[in-house]
Amino acid sequence: MMRRLRPSAAMGLTVAALALVLLPQIVSNPFAVDIFIRVLLFAFIGVAWNLLGGYAKQLSLGHAAFFGLGAYTSTILLIRYGVSPWIGIVAGGVVAMLASLPIGALCFRLRGAYFAIATIATAQVLMLLFLKFRNFAWGAEGTTIPNLGNSPWMMQFDAKAAYYYIALVLLAIGLAITSWVERSWMGYYLVALGEDQDAAEAVGVNVPRIKRHIYLISAFLTGLAGTFYVQYIYFIDPNTVFNFNVSVEAALVSIVGGIGTLWGPVVGTVLLEPTSALVQSWLGGTHGGVQLTLYAVILMAVILWRPTGLLGVLTGAYERMVGAASGGTPATTSAVRKGAPLDG
Amino acid sequence: MAGSRGKSSPRRYTRRGFLTTAIRGAIATGALTAYGATTRNVAAAPTAVNIGALFPATGGFAQFGQDCFNAAKLAVQMVNDRGGIKSLGGAKLNLILSDVQSDTTVTRTETERLITSYKLSALLGSYASALTLIASEVAERHKVPLLTGSSSDQLNQGGRKYTFTPFARASQFAKAQLQMAKLISDKPKVAVVFENTAFGTSTSSGVREQAPGEGADIVMFEPYSAGFTDAGPLVNKVKASGANVLFAVSYLNDLVLIVRTMKQMGLNIPLNGGSGGFLHPDFYKDTGKDAEGLLGVAHWNHDTSADAKAVNAAYEKLYGKFIFEYAGGLVAQTFMIADALERAASPDPQKVRDALAALDVSKGFAAMGPGGKVKFDQTGKNIYGHPVGVQWQKGDLVSVFPKEDARAPIVKS
Amino acid sequence: MAAVVAQALVNGLLIGGIYALVSIGVTLIFGVVKIVNFAQGEFVMIGMYISYWLAARVGLDPVASLVVSMPVLFAVGVLLQRFLIRRVLGLGDMPQIFLTFALSLLLINLALLLFTADYRTVDTSYSESAIHIGPVYVGVARLIAFGLAMLLSGALEVFLRATDLGKAMRAAAQNRDVAMLMGVNPEHVFSMAVGLSLALAGAAGSLIMPFYSVYPGVGQVFVLLAFVAVVLGTMGNVRGALIASLMMGMAESLGIQFVGADSGLIVVFAVLLLTLAIRPSGLFGRQTR
Repeated sequence: MMRRLRPSAAMGLTVAALALVLLPQIVSNPFAVDIFIRVLLFAFIGVAWNLLGGYAKQLSLGHAAFFGLGAYTSTILLIRYGVSPWIGIVAGGVVAMLASLPIGALCFRLRGAYFAIATIATAQVLMLLFLKFRNFAWGAEGTTIPNLGNSPWMMQFDAKAAYYYIALVLLAIGLAITSWVERSWMGYYLVALGEDQDAAEAVGVNVPRIKRHIYLISAFLTGLAGTFYVQYIYFIDPNTVFNFNVSVEAALVSIVGGIGTLWGPVVGTVLLEPTSALVQSWLGGTHGGVQLTLYAVILMAVILWRPTGLLGVLTGAYERMVGAASGGTPATTSAVRKGAPLDG
Repeated sequence: MAGSRGKSSPRRYTRRGFLTTAIRGAIATGALTAYGATTRNVAAAPTAVNIGALFPATGGFAQFGQDCFNAAKLAVQMVNDRGGIKSLGGAKLNLILSDVQSDTTVTRTETERLITSYKLSALLGSYASALTLIASEVAERHKVPLLTGSSSDQLNQGGRKYTFTPFARASQFAKAQLQMAKLISDKPKVAVVFENTAFGTSTSSGVREQAPGEGADIVMFEPYSAGFTDAGPLVNKVKASGANVLFAVSYLNDLVLIVRTMKQMGLNIPLNGGSGGFLHPDFYKDTGKDAEGLLGVAHWNHDTSADAKAVNAAYEKLYGKFIFEYAGGLVAQTFMIADALERAASPDPQKVRDALAALDVSKGFAAMGPGGKVKFDQTGKNIYGHPVGVQWQKGDLVSVFPKEDARAPIVKS
Repeated sequence: MAAVVAQALVNGLLIGGIYALVSIGVTLIFGVVKIVNFAQGEFVMIGMYISYWLAARVGLDPVASLVVSMPVLFAVGVLLQRFLIRRVLGLGDMPQIFLTFALSLLLINLALLLFTADYRTVDTSYSESAIHIGPVYVGVARLIAFGLAMLLSGALEVFLRATDLGKAMRAAAQNRDVAMLMGVNPEHVFSMAVGLSLALAGAAGSLIMPFYSVYPGVGQVFVLLAFVAVVLGTMGNVRGALIASLMMGMAESLGIQFVGADSGLIVVFAVLLLTLAIRPSGLFGRQTR
């Protein structure tokens, strides 16, 4: 299952990576950098979701639970105990990870849409609980992240580019982990259980264990994203971090981009985020609902036309452009054209 | 920078190369001159000063955000019609609006976008506490002054220097509500219900803390989830608690439901609807006669002074309904900014901020809030700010408390 | 104390009737077409807007406007099945879930674009009257809504049991392949199922207009509770959905009364998660997949 990197692809990747690293140095418009940061962050959340939802095909609509837990952990540690968010972010990831155990134990008993509904319920319950906890978690009012000026050790920067790089690193970590999972034994079993859980179990795959493991990783990464987000917008409250929209976005970018593929979430985010930001600034003022209508239409179009996501379409187009000489086997090329996930 | 970098060798002075160089030089010089002209504002005065206004014109708070936009436009028009900023050569205020879509991420992005793209001298925003808190954080970090009517006490904490709150704070609302309850009944037994997000929680916690001091008994203190399908259980609880006055801190939809359900279940105790949706003309439109006699607290009302009435008349002419609390307060804030700009004689946000910190007005549109005076302390609070108690009377929201702000007597039911 | 409990139970029962109309619709689609309709709440919203506009323009009482909202939504349901749902059948969970989910998003935001976020209410002569049964107040509008909701649910039950089409639906729900062998036309049955389901949603919308306000997001409030009832009542089981909805309504009401007014949903979810932990296929046993 090793993705053999052709020399041209490896070079392409290096150039792209270099471009990404240099981007904030070239583009100084803060609005643009903000869009980049959002793209990186939501791509990262999508990648985290994709591990569970794309590979294992457990369609969670409650990832906001982990996002929020991560965010609250680091914020509580920061404000109540003065702990640096650099430690807090990891602690948040761990808390989210630990939460995935009981949540998984409950929700994994269900399949398909049942599972999705159960995950929605858990995120909602967490939001309601945090709305009540005034004493140590500020309850419904939330709190701002105290202004510490430019304090790199406390994850607060005057320079926007710094946030960009953190988000970039997070995304890189997410992609690296996904790539590693894809290539590991876990990857084989994941795809198997995603295709047909009962069959996988019948041939001896320890399905509950795999689900548990992938959930741990997915939750951990989502928790990291939560901390970054609140450090970036300087504010936390239950309605923001446990919001259903976070869960939706996490799933959406993967589905539109390419569910169960490494780059799918990235493709999805690159398509959706800037579009939504631009639509927002053009029409947002006068017409409420335009952006989400657009999202909905895109999602429906993708579902009806290419349910496996647009990555297949893009890769297919690329392969056709480069031609058979590029070295893909006929099977791969035709599989790509059909839009199937690349796993060979 | 006027060097030649044409395709030909740099040393070859062909006619073409010369022309190219000359043209580049001319452009560069012209650009420098223009740049110099715009940045050298010692002699040349700007023709416009940019003010940002960030409100939720769409999303959950759309009704209120739209009105805030309208009020901001009216206010800026009023300032400009009166000659603009005279110390800046009659410079007009230029209003930059942004819809923050009732969303925290959008608020973060838009606040920053406005500040960095438009060289703002000051900001107004953002109705909902959560949104205002974020706008405040961004403004503080970019060192641009923000004026807001939002009541969250957090806005005056954390060492903020650029956030100014000319009107009553959440904790003050609570006291006013309790004192109003005493006007209705000697030993008030208060039931407090509030929607469990920032708005409800901040206003109601003050009530609980101050009740003993005001001689009121809290017999029920209940947060609820907004957007409920049925106010029955809640009203049922209020009934069971034996309260003789109900404080409800809610958004519009819930409040209408609560009022109707109270009628249905025969719970006829005075209701203090707090602020927020209760103060909006749409509340009366949706509840009708049931709104008559209901009490509330506001940080601004349209009848407390001649100036307020004038603003209201202008607004009503344009939009067919009275100007509601937050929107009216906005107009005052715009005039406060104008006053600061006059004294600072500069659009520089730091200078405007310092001028605001030194603000001391007791007449004019800037001072038309309850109390009639504005002066900020170091935390950005107005030392004269206090809420005004209001009551729905004959379809209009009338100020009834305290005595100096009352424009009509309280109607007891 | 007894009076308080009684009032809570009555309140809960009445609203449970409305949840029932929504959840029966969801469970019907699930049982027959095997797809979870995340957009069901939005069809309630559409029913509400239809009733609102009829009341505002023509002065038609919302309850009477059932005769408009139900057929309109039935037609919408048939179209929905024909043009959208059919395309994702058999493709697996993901496209099915996200198609209706996207539809939900689309409908809410189209409503936002068309009608703005303003709350709209309809005032009827009976919007605020209540009858007294002992110490308990029963809102007239809610009572009417409950009564009609039960009537419609009953009618559906009769339809499913006694008519050929109804039996065909139940057959298709139990085992699609065998039903097809027996001559049941799945397309026809699916269209009818979706049509009926949406008609019920529309009815729910019309019935609640006298005492509730409509705004684009109103469906979301009902749909989550309806889903819980569906899962609790065993997915695909119409009677189960009805009973579970009534129970959910009462649980929510008791939760608000005795745990905390912000805890209604927590109680509901707690019940859901508890049930799932103990009986994952709901209260009414194994349903066929």
